[in-house]
Amino acid sequence: MIEFRNVSFTYGAMQGQRPVAAVRNLSLAIPRGSHVTLIGRNGSGKSTAARLMNGLLLPDEGQVLLDGMSTSDDDSIYEIRRRCAMVFQNPDNQIIGNTVRDDIAFGPANLGLSRETILERVEKSLEMTGLAGMGDRQPHELSGGQKQKLAIASALAMEPDYLVLDEATSMLDPAARQDIMDLVLELKKKRDLTIIQITHHMEEALMADHVYVISGGGIAFDGTPAEVFDQVERVREEGMAVPSHLEIARSLAKRLGQSYNREKILSFEGALEFVRQLLGNPGPLSGEVAVCPAEALLSGEEVIRVEDLSYAYDTSWGKPIAALENVSLTVSRGEILGIAGHTGSGKSTLIQHLNGLIPARPGTVEVLGRDLSDRKVIREIRREVGLLFQYPEDQLFEETVARDIAFAPLQQKRSPEEVERMVLRAARRLDIEDILDRSPFELSGGQRRRAAIAGILAAEPEIVILDEPAAGLDPEGRDLLFTDLMTLASEGATLIIVSHDMEVLTRLADRILIMKEGKNAGLGTPGQITASAAFLEEAHLDMPAPRRFLEEMAAFLPGLDTCYFSADGAVRALLAAGGVSRG
Amino acid sequence: MGKSMLGRSVPGNSLLHRLDARVKFLSAILIMAATLSIRDIRVMGLFILWTGLLMAVSRIRPGIILRSIRPLLFIIIFAVILHLFTVDGHLLFEWGVLRVTREGLVSGFMTAMRLSLMVINSSLLLTLTTAPLAIADALESLLRPLAWLRFPVHEFAMMMSIALRFVPTLMDEADKIMKAQSSRGADYDTGGLLGRARGLVSILVPLFISSFRRADDLAVAMDARCYSGEEGRTRLYTASLNKQDYAFLFAALVLLTLVILSRTLLSPLSGMMVAGLGL
Repeated sequence: MIEFRNVSFTYGAMQGQRPVAAVRNLSLAIPRGSHVTLIGRNGSGKSTAARLMNGLLLPDEGQVLLDGMSTSDDDSIYEIRRRCAMVFQNPDNQIIGNTVRDDIAFGPANLGLSRETILERVEKSLEMTGLAGMGDRQPHELSGGQKQKLAIASALAMEPDYLVLDEATSMLDPAARQDIMDLVLELKKKRDLTIIQITHHMEEALMADHVYVISGGGIAFDGTPAEVFDQVERVREEGMAVPSHLEIARSLAKRLGQSYNREKILSFEGALEFVRQLLGNPGPLSGEVAVCPAEALLSGEEVIRVEDLSYAYDTSWGKPIAALENVSLTVSRGEILGIAGHTGSGKSTLIQHLNGLIPARPGTVEVLGRDLSDRKVIREIRREVGLLFQYPEDQLFEETVARDIAFAPLQQKRSPEEVERMVLRAARRLDIEDILDRSPFELSGGQRRRAAIAGILAAEPEIVILDEPAAGLDPEGRDLLFTDLMTLASEGATLIIVSHDMEVLTRLADRILIMKEGKNAGLGTPGQITASAAFLEEAHLDMPAPRRFLEEMAAFLPGLDTCYFSADGAVRALLAAGGVSRG
Repeated sequence: MGKSMLGRSVPGNSLLHRLDARVKFLSAILIMAATLSIRDIRVMGLFILWTGLLMAVSRIRPGIILRSIRPLLFIIIFAVILHLFTVDGHLLFEWGVLRVTREGLVSGFMTAMRLSLMVINSSLLLTLTTAPLAIADALESLLRPLAWLRFPVHEFAMMMSIALRFVPTLMDEADKIMKAQSSRGADYDTGGLLGRARGLVSILVPLFISSFRRADDLAVAMDARCYSGEEGRTRLYTASLNKQDYAFLFAALVLLTLVILSRTLLSPLSGMMVAGLGL
């Protein structure tokens, strides 16, 4: 059992900085064998709470007990850390060994176990996590998902009773995330592990026995997933979201004045079953099915043209690896183009061609009618194409936010007045005018993300390309950011958004390009792209939940328009079709 | 993608891979000393044979082994040219002020071989066939006597091993930051000295900050896995030496002794014989 008794923790109290209270008077008890999830905004104190559990941080007030041992007791701290292993967010920053085997051996070696026992545990951990045979690999040869599996293997080698996952899936693509979740659930069963998970993915929270919603360093409210997610208003107040299928079932029941069983609609299938019965379940019928619009409404004025683009990486061991193969596409002015695909599908390589970071050889890339094979053209075109990398806050370097945003305008040798005007305009767009004078390094993660995006928009580019702009943000932060980006698009900018998140892309984009193994696997409207579940699965992408829900319902509701990508839209479609079938 | 050869071992199970890292470390030093002391072209021939044998034993593709010379290629070529034109002796041909002598040719060849063999031997014994952590462990073990002088041997070895681990990560990171700043209009290829220095700031500052953050994260991750310094920690790679280890160390010692003896005992070859053997 992990027990928090009136625990408070404040950062910076010792070092004479401005103290920031991260955990306030927190009391909770996590029994052995349970599966607990902590959710809450960025900066709500979840990670601090996790680090208090195994004595990585020690409480300023109160007590943290693990199986009755206090983390403040020097004699038991190593036993506590052995029993309560942790997996962190960033795959790269928690691998200590130079090979997979060395890394797994690091923990047991610290425990002073014999060489034979350690090697035995290494092999066992490799096998349990599906990494068997990879012991000699070096960390940089692993994918993100494999690195997190390695982190779990290294934790298992300590033979822990508790496993804390601190946003361990947040930097992974949907397929890898699912993989890690499956592994964790399997280990929980096999090894009788107690799981404590911190996450921004609400679907992951549904798998827990108990959910704590953390706010301002304390518990806002808690309960079983069914209890927590039934309180929609409170969940939203805390910056979280409600999974689509739950929301569809709930609002439909409310609109029709029906009661519902909150346990039953927790699973996707349960919610589907419930809605089927609610709408009278007329049984499989043959009827007309509404078809999604086949063409996006585009200006037709071409701003980007890519033709037969191929690219291969050089590797140190000889054979080049193909990252792009014969990709062609065009983008129209004012369009929002989504690009989706699994990790390594070539998305990042493709967008780096669009502002000349990678020269087009072989193939052609034309931006605003100019061929990027000319180096001089590339320099000029970079003013018109803003490219935002993943985790762009890593590129901030100036002393103040304002000076950092000014970097691009200054590179263009603009006059001081113009630079100031451009900085202000970009800051206003992202709602960060109040932090212009502060150092980027004392801001919260969300603010730094916004500052970095402002740094791209300051040059007032015609085309803005963003690689996973919302990665790591909580649901509220993500929605606010996309709202701001939509405003930008409505004012005429052309947007290209790269993301794994099909739910977001289908709601925002005019068209979506699906990349698969370096090839253009399909380009069309959200409706066209999501028409076939098998197609998306082959590309390792998720069908957006509202659309999936509607598709499942379509067999029972003739005339149901399945072309909706938000929970609200799905409810409207269901009501319309349900009315028709009854009348 | 990190293209560095640093810390990049080629997995395998050859005799060289299995040797104890401490033995390899010591042998590498002995062999390096021997290579630098070779004066006679016949002994050099013997050494080329030895290196060839070692390459065969390692079962690593020759192309990969030879690639380890690449970082030193410029220095090797420079040294050869220097020797070629500056050593006096029997004139072979003359071109303006440039005079090439037979002795210069031989001496250039010897220099090139000396440097190449040194690099090939040490990378065969260490970087290519030994896991970086094993090298760090070996170093720690060999430096142990320094602990008497209060030198933090364990911490030093751990630092080395972590530094090696993060070389590829930081190279990827530097590449990403450079591309991000280029996208904001930074130009690292043109511009004056001041402009370039300023450009460097926009790469180095984010790189430093992210390194600090990584160091922080890593320290927490090490704590979480019960790291508490050297005390009570199992060393994975320091098993006791076996027959093969002793035999290899002995072979390295014999080589060094042979080279040193050859410097006094072997009579110098006459000029004609040098030409016959060397060319």
